[in-house]
Amino acid sequence: MEDNDRVTALEAFDPARERPGYWEQFRARILENAAFELARRREAARETVAAVLSGWSRSLIPVAAAAALIASIMIVNEARQQRQPPPRLVLEDMLGGPLGESSFRAALGAGVQSNTAAFLAFVEEDTR
Amino acid sequence: MRQRSDAELVTQARCGDREAFGELVRRYQRAAYSVALSVTGKHQDAEDAAQESFMVALQRLDDCRNADRFAGWLLAIVRNRSRNLIRRENLRSGDEIPASASSSGPGPDRMADISALRGRLKEALSTLTEVQREIVLLHDLEGWKHDEISERIGIPSGTVRSHLHFARKALRARLAGWKDHI
Repeated sequence: MEDNDRVTALEAFDPARERPGYWEQFRARILENAAFELARRREAARETVAAVLSGWSRSLIPVAAAAALIASIMIVNEARQQRQPPPRLVLEDMLGGPLGESSFRAALGAGVQSNTAAFLAFVEEDTR
Repeated sequence: MRQRSDAELVTQARCGDREAFGELVRRYQRAAYSVALSVTGKHQDAEDAAQESFMVALQRLDDCRNADRFAGWLLAIVRNRSRNLIRRENLRSGDEIPASASSSGPGPDRMADISALRGRLKEALSTLTEVQREIVLLHDLEGWKHDEISERIGIPSGTVRSHLHFARKALRARLAGWKDHI
């Protein structure tokens, strides 16, 4: 029953039957009357975009300033730490205690100064 | 090029896009006219109501919550505007037949035929309920499918078929002498 039973006589109600271009004119009239409302909507849409951007900027600027401040503090600290020489490891630190003069003399006398590990082992043994 | 959905066109029209609104008008101007005609029964009133409805729809476009259902929303506006128009202009004697504005249109004899047929149709349509008139015009004049009518005017598809069946039967009975036209 979709199309075969159409009451084709109803086409007599189509205004375009007597006025070619009727629907184009119909649409043109609506668009002409709608011009003001469409312009108002375009303007409102522009204002909405501007308002969103300005809203963002209001909250974004303080956050960005705080982030920049924190970042600069971190960079300065980093640079300061890099300028300080690394602490030197002295022999006493490695042994956990001071060495007596006799230990050095004994080590040097034993001729183990050419090898660090042997030297440390000797001194450790000697200080016990 | 891909055809933009009603929802896309509505979104763009909300931002004042003339071309998008124009496309919505192009899509639904005939249906709006048919619905208005089914209520008013007069060409001039139907034309006025359909045109006004598009303007009202544009002004209230933000109220169209489900933009995919723009057609149904628009046709509801058309129905209401048409009823209001009838109430307002109850005493006005309208021009029921569009005057020919083009020399390229049909000749005087043909015009008389169309005019007479239209008079008969109008009489026949007046025996139908408003919803039956709307459905038969949307289907047989505008070529909408059952499902499209069902979705856009919010009536179950089976009911649309039923209304269409009875509307056609009634029209045929009234137009019995015009069998070659129907």
